[in-house]
Amino acid sequence: MFLDLAQNTLDGLARGSAYALLALGFTLVFGVLRRVNLSYGPAIMLGCYLATWASMAIHANLILLLAVSVAGTVLAGAYVERLCFAPHRKGSAIAAMVASFALWMQLEELAVLALPRHLYAFPALYEGSPLQFLGLTLRVESGVMIVVAAGVCVALRRTLYHSKFGLAVRAAVENPVAASLAGISLPGVFVRVFAVASALGGLAGFLISATHEQVTPMLGMWSTLKGLLAMMLGGLGSLPGAVIGGLALGLVEAHSQWFFGPQLRDLIAYLLLFLLLAMRPRWMTTQSAS
Amino acid sequence: MSALLEVKDLVTAYGKIEALRGVSLEVAEGSITCLLGPNGAGKTTLMMTVAGILRAKKGLISFSGKSIASLQPHAIVASGIALVPENRLVFPGMTVIENLRAGAYQRRDDLAGDIERLLGRFPRLKERSEQLAGTLSGGEQQMLVVARALMSRPRLLLMDEPSLGLAPLVVEEIFRIIAELHRDGVSIFLVEQNAHMALKVAQHFYLIEQGRVTFSGDPGSLAEDEVIRRAYLGSAKQ
Amino acid sequence: MDDYAIGVLTNVGLFSFVALSAYVLLLAGEMSFGQQAFFGVGAYAGGILTAMYGVPLPLAALAAMALGALAALLVGLPTLRLKGLYFAMATLAAAEMARILFELLHFQRELEGETVGPDGTQGFRGIRWIFENGIEPGGFLGLVWGLLFGIVVIFLLVERSRLGMTLRSVGDDPELAASLGVDVDRFKLGVAGAAGALAALGGVLFAHHNTYIEPRNFDIMLGVHSLAYALIGGLGTALGPLLGVALDIGVLEGSRIFGGTRMIVFGGLVAVLLVFRPRGLLDEKVVHWLRTRFS
Repeated sequence: MFLDLAQNTLDGLARGSAYALLALGFTLVFGVLRRVNLSYGPAIMLGCYLATWASMAIHANLILLLAVSVAGTVLAGAYVERLCFAPHRKGSAIAAMVASFALWMQLEELAVLALPRHLYAFPALYEGSPLQFLGLTLRVESGVMIVVAAGVCVALRRTLYHSKFGLAVRAAVENPVAASLAGISLPGVFVRVFAVASALGGLAGFLISATHEQVTPMLGMWSTLKGLLAMMLGGLGSLPGAVIGGLALGLVEAHSQWFFGPQLRDLIAYLLLFLLLAMRPRWMTTQSAS
Repeated sequence: MSALLEVKDLVTAYGKIEALRGVSLEVAEGSITCLLGPNGAGKTTLMMTVAGILRAKKGLISFSGKSIASLQPHAIVASGIALVPENRLVFPGMTVIENLRAGAYQRRDDLAGDIERLLGRFPRLKERSEQLAGTLSGGEQQMLVVARALMSRPRLLLMDEPSLGLAPLVVEEIFRIIAELHRDGVSIFLVEQNAHMALKVAQHFYLIEQGRVTFSGDPGSLAEDEVIRRAYLGSAKQ
Repeated sequence: MDDYAIGVLTNVGLFSFVALSAYVLLLAGEMSFGQQAFFGVGAYAGGILTAMYGVPLPLAALAAMALGALAALLVGLPTLRLKGLYFAMATLAAAEMARILFELLHFQRELEGETVGPDGTQGFRGIRWIFENGIEPGGFLGLVWGLLFGIVVIFLLVERSRLGMTLRSVGDDPELAASLGVDVDRFKLGVAGAAGALAALGGVLFAHHNTYIEPRNFDIMLGVHSLAYALIGGLGTALGPLLGVALDIGVLEGSRIFGGTRMIVFGGLVAVLLVFRPRGLLDEKVVHWLRTRFS
């Protein structure tokens, strides 16, 4: 029984690491641009579909597939940023969000037109057998996911606190007017943050696809839902919150699934978010969301 | 002396309400020029328009002969103008040194020398150099915002009510620094409510009321109590 | 009119109910991703009543609307103080919970040798009241649009009345409204209930038009689409959401030209449109201009 708990916790951390990566991408855009990007998942899907095509057409190796996923997502993200976020910078947040939803539809249909089947095989991240230790099983792919997520966190923190770009981002978040007056180009910061978020998404999408060894047309919706859910669970707008929310979601899902099965698993996650929002503990509302 | 900054018939509106209704003035190179006027006259609106945060509806702004009215705020900093805004907009979650670094964002050279020099000029900031800007006192924050603006090595420093809400000793310190900067050759365009201190340092001043310039002259040309009256209350006839 | 055209027009009408539901909440200042849940509640409740208990459609529709309003209050009460994205995510969570509950709903009866009733993810077949009572597609189209017409007329009348102005003032500046004596909380709950009932009515009609519903019909896509229709059509008038639905389902699907690229075209059009008209086609300014022009 205790072993099951430990195993589920381990599995939960692996799932949660994927969710954390997704949540980080959403949070970067929300925290800096103060906007919700509903095209985030579909952009990731487009990147992964591009990689799938590369895998089928030219049998690209894993490194190349990672590069294609990231590049595809960044390109799709740049398109979304130009059309949905740049024009509404000083205007309505809702218009930007609805525009990003419109592009969600567009990007998803584009991907499905290019690769119409319900399922495509994706090369496996690792072909060998899982690790066994202390009576626990850990798939190597899951271990990679956890390590990469941790690495991304470290890298983000370094960038934010020890680079010129990070300084500009923090300034733009703390006080956009003061940042402009200090000579920081807000549009420039926004474009670069968006690109970083897209790159993270491409990385997450690649790892997820390679771990499950498949891509499906649901990837866009799934990534968006999980990313949003994780971001909200951890407290909106903070990067550490995104990671905590992602891990928490993964843990809640893993344990719920064990006790109650897959349908109730999702129900419990949504219930948890709803109750948290209804009770609104102060740590959730660190930033204004309207 | 030539005009470093020239503003002509500037109109800035918030929606339908015109806060600046045709403002024309000049800041001569190397001078301290002062803008006085009651609250709501348009002083901050003018500063924000020159700095590029607000966009003018009509009129011209030129700096060293080049038009800057349509530039983005960061490009205006790159041209050599820096604004010390009203309300001491520090970056509260960043340290004093990080705030200074932010001010130098447009520069690509080594900042260590400048940072040291500025901390030397503002000893209270030097003591608190690793502290978060949000924990500084009002006077220290004001020094920080001035120092941050100076990090971009501006030719023209715009200052919006630097003495607002500060204790008299601190106000004296601020004006001492303004005089020092003037001696170092920085041109200063100063918006102030504290007409008395402002007139002591300025070479030229303007009065602005209800979005228009109503007086232009040097500090001796109008009786000080008349100036102070109009700076706080505006002229009788409106 | 051929059957295909009738079908398209009926769909435009049906989805207009959800779009109007999202619209009325938007006017009150709340952005909901979850109106599809009440559409679903109406669909399942109406279907269960007519197909399993022989309740006539009008009665079933009223009951479904009541249930929709109740469900809306169930969601609206705990989320009363939430704003912006927090509120939107709460409604999304609630709607997804509803959808999962539909997936878990197994409730069947034997009627005349047939098993009728919702069967979880397998869906709910046999909602045939319309056909068993001899209502032709054309007649049903008339019913849907007749109801919609009545509702839009009510909306247009309300919009020019004090109630309408209170609604918009609560949406634009709730503090100001409160200071003028409006009980903002009660008002918002009332609006939420009305929006829920409206969506539920659409759901009942939807279930009977399709004769088959499944939980997937009531997923997030429907919810975000409804919000989008309201925003694209314009927030200046109740005709705005209808315009949004008509543009998507009517023009693009109906024209058959675009085939598999419908969303590519529509999505791109919407994004571009929003750059120039962030509050939709029939936004407040346009409506005001039209009113002064034609009065």
